[in-house]
Amino acid sequence: MNQTSGLWHVLYGSALNRFLAIAAVVLGLVSLAGTTQSNEKVTIDARELALIVENEVDHVTVQKLADDLIRGETNFRLLDLQTPEDFAAYHLPGAENVQLNDLAEYPIQRNERIVLYSGGGIHSAQAWFLLKARGYKAVYMVLGGLSSWKEEVLYPTLAADATPEQVAGFAEVEQVAKHFGGAARRGGAAAGSVDTALPTPPVIAPTAPVIQRPTKRAREGC
Amino acid sequence: MASDHSPNELYGASAALIRPDTAGAAPYWNPYVSGVLLGLVLLAAYVLMGRGLGASGAFSSVTALAVEKAAPAHAAGNEFYQGYLQNGIGGNPLKSWLVFEVIGVFLGGFLSAALAGRLTGNVAKGPRISVRTRLLFALAGGTMMGIGAKFARGCTSGQGLSGGAVLNVGSWAFMLMVFALAYALAYSFRRLWT
Amino acid sequence: MNAPFFKFGYFGDEVSLLIAVVIGVLFGFVLERAGFGNGRKLAAQFYFQDLAVFKVMFSAIITAMLGIFYLSWSGLLDISLVYKGTTYLYSQLLGGAFLGVGFILGGYCPGTSIVAMATGRLDAVMFGVGVFLGIFIFGEAYPLFADFMFTGNMGVVTLPELLNISYGLVMLIVIAVAVGGFFGAEYLEKRWAEKHGGSDERQSGETVVEETIEVTIATQTTY
Repeated sequence: MNQTSGLWHVLYGSALNRFLAIAAVVLGLVSLAGTTQSNEKVTIDARELALIVENEVDHVTVQKLADDLIRGETNFRLLDLQTPEDFAAYHLPGAENVQLNDLAEYPIQRNERIVLYSGGGIHSAQAWFLLKARGYKAVYMVLGGLSSWKEEVLYPTLAADATPEQVAGFAEVEQVAKHFGGAARRGGAAAGSVDTALPTPPVIAPTAPVIQRPTKRAREGC
Repeated sequence: MASDHSPNELYGASAALIRPDTAGAAPYWNPYVSGVLLGLVLLAAYVLMGRGLGASGAFSSVTALAVEKAAPAHAAGNEFYQGYLQNGIGGNPLKSWLVFEVIGVFLGGFLSAALAGRLTGNVAKGPRISVRTRLLFALAGGTMMGIGAKFARGCTSGQGLSGGAVLNVGSWAFMLMVFALAYALAYSFRRLWT
Repeated sequence: MNAPFFKFGYFGDEVSLLIAVVIGVLFGFVLERAGFGNGRKLAAQFYFQDLAVFKVMFSAIITAMLGIFYLSWSGLLDISLVYKGTTYLYSQLLGGAFLGVGFILGGYCPGTSIVAMATGRLDAVMFGVGVFLGIFIFGEAYPLFADFMFTGNMGVVTLPELLNISYGLVMLIVIAVAVGGFFGAEYLEKRWAEKHGGSDERQSGETVVEETIEVTIATQTTY
């Protein structure tokens, strides 16, 4: 240890131990004057939000959502903002029921992809704004909400004057509808716009083995 | 300027404590300095990831995966295994943060030991017991740790260090229990270590 | 309020795994340098011969605790996004008891056993096998005590909340206890060294090849 330097001494010396002890006590004393902070205060970048809204990049169509659910995509959280009663009556497979005023405490992370839907779309839009303002990065809402879902995924109708491409693609639409317990209808002479009153959709039991998600997505403990 | 000092003066107070376990190896670091550095690593984990360090979780991921490979239906019906099987990124249980962190721990430990000349590979034990006895007790101790870490939802790193630093109530209760039990049993098992 | 970076989406899952490896390397390096790759040095904690476990652990906790607090106070770290486990008091106390027994029998904990394995210790490998075995046993028996795992649920609760005193005061108490403990540890090590003179190790241990030749016989310690 001929090359022993001051650094060596400091690293192994008791003077350093004493310094560390004193530093810890001093920092502990100073901390009595402080508090921890969490950002319960909401800040909004109005222009950024307006741009997002205008460009509609925050929207997910019901068709896209249906595809993701069929493929068993699990890289997003699907939040249902209906009332518990409506949720019990019908909800999308894998959805988690959250009320607007519970959203702040709900265990979702700012870096998670969050897809919101409600009956029509108003509640999901409000929730979207709330989350966006609180710094959640990837929040999307289902365009048209459950109304669109019923109309376009569960009970789609092929218009009588459909183009050949639409007719060709309808087989797939029918498959999708069947997957979610609905039924597509080929608009013949009978099906007119009069008949589009929404039938009660079948209840998809929450226990259906579609996507099982733990309430907290990632274990962060040991 | 310090070249004519005696070793103990140079090393400072805890010269003897930092003596390596292998002749010719570099000395251990001052425990307080080690602790501060360890604390900074833990702090980095919290600042970067918002989570602490861990170890037993990685063991659990591997165990759950092994059970699934051996008996898929059995693993599917077990809530505990499922928790770990569904945890990885992109559905791969091994692509989890803790598994990668533990791989890093292995690499870091190896690197440090290699640089310090401590890659000796000997069995750490007390002088009064045979290597065979030591290995049996290591197996038994590991088994108890495995069970305990799952009951406690974490081990010394996950609960003790990480939970301790965020002043988690459960972590402190856990830590007191660990030390209380170990000290209570130390005398009974003194033959193992002294 | 930009930390924790991951939770604000500054990088994704793949990068987080890279960070995991880097953090792990640093963690493992420091553990090894502290002497935690040696089960005998770890166990010496419980015989008051070498209290490095206590010193390192509490220095680390204090450092990270103060760091988290000051970063949060200054507004850089959103402490509400820092993961804190839920307290299930009874299962955690039972787990702690198991860990204490495992520690005195095995000499490692899961993390330090990884480090010891990396340095080529067979006892650590056996310990690691035991950890797998223990987790397997736990997993197989899980349905039997799944309910017990959730007893004593206190929610996510910290000491300042439980005791209803300020965060700073709790930290000051922790620091005071730890620093007091550090002085006590130095005293105990010194006393043990004086009593044993560091000689009994030499009689029995050093001739055996597999023997860990030296474990921290404190011959002279002053704080």
